[in-house]
Amino acid sequence: MFGRRVRRPLFLDTRQVRWLGTLLLAVQLPQAYAMPVWIAIAGMALVVFRIWLQSRSVMERERVLARIPPYVLALFALATGLAVRQSFGIFLGRDPCVAFLFVLVGIKYLEARTVRDGTLLVCLASFLLVTPFFYNQSLLAGLAAVPALVLLASCLQLLAPPGNVRVEYRLRDPLRRSARLLVEGIPLALLLFVLFPRLSAPLWGLPSDFAARTGLSDHMHPGSISDLTLSDAVAFRVDFLSEIPPAHLRYWRGPVFTRFNGEEWSPSLMRSAGRIVHARGAPLVFYTVTLEPHYKRSLFALDIPASLPKRFDATLPTDLPELAVLTPDQQLIARAAVAQPLRYSQMSQLEPSYPVAPGTQGDIERAENLQLPRGSPRMRALARELRAANPDDTRYANAVLRWFREQPFYYTLSPPKIDHDLTDRFLFDTRRGFCEHYASAFVMLLRAAGIPARVVTGYQGGEVNPNGGYLIVRQSDAHAWAEALIDGEWRRFDPTAAVAPSRIEFGLGGALPADERVPLFARQQGWFKRVQLAWDAINYGWRRHIIDFNSDQQETLWRFLRLDRWAPWQIVLGVSLVTGLWAAGLLLWFRLRQRQRGDRVLMLWNALCKRLARAGLPREAYEGPLAYVSRAAARWPAFTAAFAVIGETYAELRYGRSASSAGTTGDRAVARLRHAIAVLPRARTLRNSGVA
Amino acid sequence: MSSLAAQSHGLSAWIGPWRQRLWRRAPEDAGSITLHHSRIYILPTRRGLALLGTAATMLLTSLNYSLSLGFAVTFLVIGIGASALLHTYRNLSGIEVRPLTAGATFAGGTLPFVLSLTGGSGIRRGFILQASEDQTQRFDVPASTALSVTLHRAAAVRGRLALGRVTLSSDYPVGLWRAWAYVHFPLDGIVYPAPEPSPPPLPIGAEGHHALIAAAGDDTDLAGLRDYQQGDPLQRIAWKSVARGAGWHTKQFEGAGGGGPVTLTWDALPAGMSCEARIARLTAWVLAAERAARPFALRLPGCSFPVGQGREQRRLALTALALLPGEEA
Repeated sequence: MFGRRVRRPLFLDTRQVRWLGTLLLAVQLPQAYAMPVWIAIAGMALVVFRIWLQSRSVMERERVLARIPPYVLALFALATGLAVRQSFGIFLGRDPCVAFLFVLVGIKYLEARTVRDGTLLVCLASFLLVTPFFYNQSLLAGLAAVPALVLLASCLQLLAPPGNVRVEYRLRDPLRRSARLLVEGIPLALLLFVLFPRLSAPLWGLPSDFAARTGLSDHMHPGSISDLTLSDAVAFRVDFLSEIPPAHLRYWRGPVFTRFNGEEWSPSLMRSAGRIVHARGAPLVFYTVTLEPHYKRSLFALDIPASLPKRFDATLPTDLPELAVLTPDQQLIARAAVAQPLRYSQMSQLEPSYPVAPGTQGDIERAENLQLPRGSPRMRALARELRAANPDDTRYANAVLRWFREQPFYYTLSPPKIDHDLTDRFLFDTRRGFCEHYASAFVMLLRAAGIPARVVTGYQGGEVNPNGGYLIVRQSDAHAWAEALIDGEWRRFDPTAAVAPSRIEFGLGGALPADERVPLFARQQGWFKRVQLAWDAINYGWRRHIIDFNSDQQETLWRFLRLDRWAPWQIVLGVSLVTGLWAAGLLLWFRLRQRQRGDRVLMLWNALCKRLARAGLPREAYEGPLAYVSRAAARWPAFTAAFAVIGETYAELRYGRSASSAGTTGDRAVARLRHAIAVLPRARTLRNSGVA
Repeated sequence: MSSLAAQSHGLSAWIGPWRQRLWRRAPEDAGSITLHHSRIYILPTRRGLALLGTAATMLLTSLNYSLSLGFAVTFLVIGIGASALLHTYRNLSGIEVRPLTAGATFAGGTLPFVLSLTGGSGIRRGFILQASEDQTQRFDVPASTALSVTLHRAAAVRGRLALGRVTLSSDYPVGLWRAWAYVHFPLDGIVYPAPEPSPPPLPIGAEGHHALIAAAGDDTDLAGLRDYQQGDPLQRIAWKSVARGAGWHTKQFEGAGGGGPVTLTWDALPAGMSCEARIARLTAWVLAAERAARPFALRLPGCSFPVGQGREQRRLALTALALLPGEEA
């Protein structure tokens, strides 16, 4: 029934070994950077070693291979497994398994002898095509898979047992045929890509997979954002339906912190649901956020959320479920951790203050936002002093900001470490810090004066990409500011702006002194920046249309194509029909190509015969092409070489076995025939030049 | 199966053509057969199944981690496999198979069958031609030219040996799919009986004098040349004169063995001999007479051949011996 197995094992020849090695390197390279260094080196060194070994004499190769018996390799594999376990902490996780496989293909390749081993290697390589996308799904990562796919198909061709005629030895022939197979397969792949059902939740979760990623943390420990600020990674991108608001109004609200123990800020303990508040007269802004997975539950909204986020859907249905709930401190919490790129529509009000939602547990909220840790006597003294001069809450808060501005505070990403009593030491001793330090100290000063206040973290600013007119918010835009409850309204205060106003207007690069290290993007100018932005635009499009093509987008597309009204059997029928059309189209294309090529050869030959006949040398009825051509060569000795090529090529194309119209060699032969005929002069010239 | 067919004749009449169409059990293919979709089967090879399993794993991984690019790569691998299916099919489709000849051999030898394959306008690659389990042939079919392929079947017993159903298969270009087609021509060859290894000398000729096999070697004196006649043994042809361009002549020898016709008679053999032993002895004698260039007549139960000589006589005699009914008949 299935392919009969040859009883005697078929051994891999040098060519097959080399192609397989190239394939393995092509699948290893795009993910080598994501591996621990020793894994990357070990896995690829094994492959390179085996390729090198193949270039040595058979004797030497066998001697070396004989020194590596199977049990040594098995032990090596075991040792690798243990080392991976050691390095990752666990073994049965996604990343350790990929790392193990990375080395395992090298080990298997080293001992590969038979064509069967070759098949196994091709399958392993095929699986390793998917794994780089765990780490990176950029356009480049996608393009890197293309050569590997072509090599994969080439290896399959080389492993297929050849017939009588050895398959061509030219390097590019298998590559060309593979490219052809790939191109012909694209329509089917596209169909499957669009129609194959996606899952909205994973089948199995590997808990270790989603540990410690970038993003704002659930707790604030001044110092933790310091690492974050140095990352250029994109946090999210935003498409606005209207004008993009100016930079100083773009406060992206994220985790809000209420409780402070002197060292660390943590979220409020209130568990009740919040309500959407409405600031009177504030303009509404509509936008769509494309959030990169950050493996946490917070979603980001501009300033005051005026709606709950819904999945973005181009067809704008009204019945989509809401993705998140609102907390009393106006924070959006997703129903599940964001583990895949998420696109949501959101509405906001741009206003530096908002009223307390009516009917909430105002007293508890007030008490929680007044809580002060013990200590910090100097801070309390300062608060008393400033409060005595400013009994009005607003004036007091402004006085504190003024105090920050007037005292010698420095905005820096590398503040000195503070061991105990963060507030006092920062306010009066070190005076160097970044947004978290200022926000934390500011809130403490307000609470000490009896004004409820809290810290809000999120992102501030972002960069407008002129290519596509969207906003890029990076991890380096992470920010922390403060909110105070004054006159029944929560008002935003940004103490960082008091110290380093340019941070708010121009971002991080503008706020830091020139000698301080900043991320690449924070301070680039000129063409480099433009190229980078154009590249980001391409990647954003890639991300939106290819990477984020998940179950929701699929649903949208189906709705758009009205496929959601089809019964399953109709869809199956439709897919079969399209697949059948694809196959029929390809077969028709094969036939057309073949006919064309066959015709081409005959047409060239007939044209030649006609030309020679006009030149006075008609072909006799009994004369074969070779005889005719040699007769012509005798008549026109100047073109003996051309006639020889013509005869040889034509005979080969029409009657030969090694070359023909089926393979790529056919095309080349046809071209050779055409060139050789083109060398001959016109009939009139020939007639006047021949030897009698 | 036969009882079933007997019970419901109508059903079998309906199934029969379909069974023939599916399995080509009966030698009903006449003339040249062009392979097309109704004859071509295609299934994944082991390698194809292995890659399919890998693709399934890749798909599952992409699903679980919702890797869009993982899907893309997986579907491209599947796309490559699917277009390889079409290439494999096309490689086999349009091939024209024609039965040429069946040879003859002695029991214990191999019987050659010659088929001709024509591949249309393009070269077709990587074929395996197989008749039963005996022997396979690997070859490519060149473009626009007929390729003769000889299949050898082991011939164990005398009689007719049919070529049987022939399978033409190919897994070109990537070895993920195996396409095959059955052709079943009514082509059979004759297996001559195996000659007795050391037979007694030829019997007394019809004219009454002994034929001395021992003296009937080829080294007797050359008597002269006569004109070549169709059927003269090759070793008697005067090749030197052919080479000189003097025309075709046959050498004639003088010797005790040459000349005199013998009659080989079934019934004249010792009574105790078994049927097969008689056939073996007669075969050996036919060959000996042929070698000695002596005309012979053959009398078998049911048929007899008049005195004659040459390859045609030998062929007829050996064929008659090959097709004699066996002991039990």
